[in-house]
Amino acid sequence: MSNYFDALSVLILFSSFILMANKRIKSYIKTFRIQSLLIALAAGIMGIKGSFEEGRIDILVVCLLIVVLKVIFIPNLLNKTYANIEYKVEKDFILNIPILILMCCALVVFTYFSLSTIDGINAGIINTQVVNSVSVILIGLLFMISRKKAIGQIVGFLVIENGLYITALFSTHGMPFIVDVGIFIDVITAVMILGFMVFRINEKFESIDIDKLNNLRG
Amino acid sequence: MGFFLLAIPVLAVLLFLFFKKEKLLYMISVSASICLIIVAVLITRQVMLWGKVEYSSLGGIFYLDALSIIVLDIVLIIGLMASIYSVGYMEEEIKQGKIKIGRLKIYYILMYSFIFTMILALTVKNMGIMWIAIEATTLASAFLVGFYNDRYALEAAWKYVIICSVGIAIALLGIIFLHLSSIGVLPSSDYLDWTALYDQAEALNTSIARLAFIFILVGFGTKAGLAPMHTWLPDAHSQAPSPISALLSGVLLNSAMYGIIRTVAIVNRNLGSGVYTGRLLIALGILSMVTAAIFILTQKDYKRLLAYSSIEHMGIIAIAIGIFTPLSVFGGLLHMINHSFTKSMLFLSSGNILQKYHTKRISGIKGVLKLLPVSGTVFLLGLFAIAGMPPFSIFASELSILASIFAIKSFFLGLVFVILLAVVFVGIALNLFKVFYGPAVENNLSPGEVNTPGLMAIVTLLVVISLTGIVIPNELKVLITNAQSIILGG
Amino acid sequence: MRNIVYIVVQILVIMLVSPLVNGIIRKVKAFSQKRKGAPLLQMYFDLFKLFKKNSVVSDVSSWAFKVTPYIFFSTALAAALLVPVSTIVTPQEIPGDIIMLVSVLALGRFFMMIAALDTASTFGGMGSSREAMISSLIEPSILVSLFTVGLICQSTSMQQMMEAMKGTGIPLFHPVYIMVFLALFTIILAETSRIPVDDPATHLELTMVHEAMLLEYSGRHLALMELGAAIKQLVFITVLVNLIFPHDQLIAITGISAVVLSLFLYLMKVIFISIAIAFAEVFTVKFRFFSIPNLAALSFILSFLGFLQYFVLGGSNV
Repeated sequence: MSNYFDALSVLILFSSFILMANKRIKSYIKTFRIQSLLIALAAGIMGIKGSFEEGRIDILVVCLLIVVLKVIFIPNLLNKTYANIEYKVEKDFILNIPILILMCCALVVFTYFSLSTIDGINAGIINTQVVNSVSVILIGLLFMISRKKAIGQIVGFLVIENGLYITALFSTHGMPFIVDVGIFIDVITAVMILGFMVFRINEKFESIDIDKLNNLRG
Repeated sequence: MGFFLLAIPVLAVLLFLFFKKEKLLYMISVSASICLIIVAVLITRQVMLWGKVEYSSLGGIFYLDALSIIVLDIVLIIGLMASIYSVGYMEEEIKQGKIKIGRLKIYYILMYSFIFTMILALTVKNMGIMWIAIEATTLASAFLVGFYNDRYALEAAWKYVIICSVGIAIALLGIIFLHLSSIGVLPSSDYLDWTALYDQAEALNTSIARLAFIFILVGFGTKAGLAPMHTWLPDAHSQAPSPISALLSGVLLNSAMYGIIRTVAIVNRNLGSGVYTGRLLIALGILSMVTAAIFILTQKDYKRLLAYSSIEHMGIIAIAIGIFTPLSVFGGLLHMINHSFTKSMLFLSSGNILQKYHTKRISGIKGVLKLLPVSGTVFLLGLFAIAGMPPFSIFASELSILASIFAIKSFFLGLVFVILLAVVFVGIALNLFKVFYGPAVENNLSPGEVNTPGLMAIVTLLVVISLTGIVIPNELKVLITNAQSIILGG
Repeated sequence: MRNIVYIVVQILVIMLVSPLVNGIIRKVKAFSQKRKGAPLLQMYFDLFKLFKKNSVVSDVSSWAFKVTPYIFFSTALAAALLVPVSTIVTPQEIPGDIIMLVSVLALGRFFMMIAALDTASTFGGMGSSREAMISSLIEPSILVSLFTVGLICQSTSMQQMMEAMKGTGIPLFHPVYIMVFLALFTIILAETSRIPVDDPATHLELTMVHEAMLLEYSGRHLALMELGAAIKQLVFITVLVNLIFPHDQLIAITGISAVVLSLFLYLMKVIFISIAIAFAEVFTVKFRFFSIPNLAALSFILSFLGFLQYFVLGGSNV
């Protein structure tokens, strides 16, 4: 069974590499959708397993929430936000893509070496999944640093959140239900607030390039 | 009783939704805060009598002990002061045409959501829900930071949400690891439960708990404004409306620090000593003090200067918790209280100055004492207080922290600590004391105070910090001692 | 004896099947565009026709131009001998492994680039410089992905790797192999001039890579080059299908019928992968030439992640 999770975790990790290789905001959103779908799949498999073995259905409910929120709602919201702001073709990333991808690769290696010294995680099969999912978090952080557009940063934040969720899912088989739901509410609110701010930034700065946000210093 | 703590802000938000009239909004706000204070006094009494208060509703997630009641009381008292001050402040803003009357409603709704999330963060014992509430504080206050809706405020708000959300996401990773370290130790009904984690702390997986602590320290440290994750803080504090700056600085930072303190208690009990957490906390604390000292020396904006001073004081609290002796923890908690009161007083009085002079630049302000006799005096005394002069309360807490540093014989740390305090004092004196001198009327500003309710608030705070500097009330001493034994164990 | 049987079967299967792969891909693409398309066996007819014709050789070109078709074809065939199509028909010993495979193919490519430069036509030079760039970007990921499998199977011989892979159940659900599979698939697209990298159907001067190098060839020489390229493509597909979808463990019988069944299953897998390649071509657009490093980086990352997963999983328990 854990083979499936290993395979899914590595696919989720790879989807964040694809995200890093994407150039356009539309493709960020698409890749995020695919990644969330993979996460929903992992949660679904785990939920079905949990409901048969222990009779708990909370992971299935969370899986449903992921599908509704992260696969459908948030990407649509981002698409709508993006459609409503003035479209400008600008170079979005700071370093070129192969270098960024190699940096991500280094992050995975780094995660591996830092987590392999932790004896509790190292025990057994959990290791792969935890390394992969923690790497997703770090890649999300790098993605946020490497993109200049505001929407890119929102997607980076969401990828970090995805990484956190699968870390929790793979390492501890899900947080307590109420915590999971609360995290979802927070994420949704955060994305809505950030999406709204993107509008405002576009209005005031006539661009969604966050390099322009440099008035406050010192 | 604890039910009212959460119900009153919710009720207030609902009432704000239904009413439009200015006077009514002010009334609801102030009376809600007063009700909260009354509830807080009653609960504080309960906690002092029984040691802790637990509620069985919602799976027993609500829990209060001496540590949380201290921070909670700070939240509610500063909340009351901010809401009293807001009456005069907002009236003046509307009169000056800076905001429209319709926005007042939004202001109050957001402010009470903000207070609600902070109360929630402090009254739950489930670390996961505490995380959710602390993340929610960011979201609730995002539009408060960007309330003026100009380029600067928007930039500050964007940085605030992005940096704090990402930071706090890292804290969630830490909490996940803490959860992982407890798997197999705790029954599934007690997952993430702080009291259970603390009771079973020795049985947790040590290396995962250590890892968890790093993530939680970085995560909540971002929210608490510890350097080098502090970059959002000066922007947010300087761009927010002054009552909100007071809440952010006096209350929000403490809530995040509270999360760190809870984790430190678990991890130190697990490790059996405070060395590991202490090194990290002291390093971050010193770094924060250094950063703050440098920026205070070269600061041109008085609200930003106050914000950097908040970073410095958070660093002091982190050092105090890092030393982890009874005296230092006592000093740290006391410092938390004193800093909150003093700093919110300063932010509130700087709001009066801002409304009078319409500038945040220090060079644009002269003769404050003549134009604003009361606010100016409070501001002057507050600056002395925040810099650590006797007889104000910050002197007492800084002295006890310093004493605890020398008591564990780390003279180098003590020396650095003293030097940094001196540098900060010089910076404040150098930059800010010039606003009190000079010709009073330079650009046709008429003397006189604008915000009468606000004066009440700041004078009350001044009286409080002066009195507690001379003598600490016995009740407070008991509470802090209880909290200290919660943190230290035994 | 076994060696002779192996060589005969290997050469026959590879030479016969390789033009079919192109036929299938073209057919699927034609269907996707609502055309009927050329017949499935069109490439056989083309090759047959070309072999009958004389080739024209430019008089400014040197010997390199003339020997290249033979070298290219024979290296492709030599590579084909290193990759068994079925693990039932095996030689006693193959004196070559994956490193040999990659370098033999590189030799053929080297001569092809030399020949394209030799005629001094603009397109030839352009094509070979592009080919050099693409192949140098893709080669690390071929080696890393094959080494990953080799590490797990404790051998670099393709035949022994295939033998070992028979025992792994369904490798596609395994984190290492899933990455290796995706990497090899990307490599096939890049190495065989498929659409995100190069367009085999175009003779548009700005975009062509592989075709640009063949532009000066005609008749018999062209037939050899085309067949060599098709064989190279089939070799990569064989590596992919026989490593990731091993089939010989399913065959319970022995003897000559087992060989036939095994080859039939192999053919099915090749057809399946060809259709998959065709779909990949249909659903993607050609990249800008300067975006190819991104694709190469992704494919390298795929193989590297596979490699890393092997270590993360702890090696021996795979």
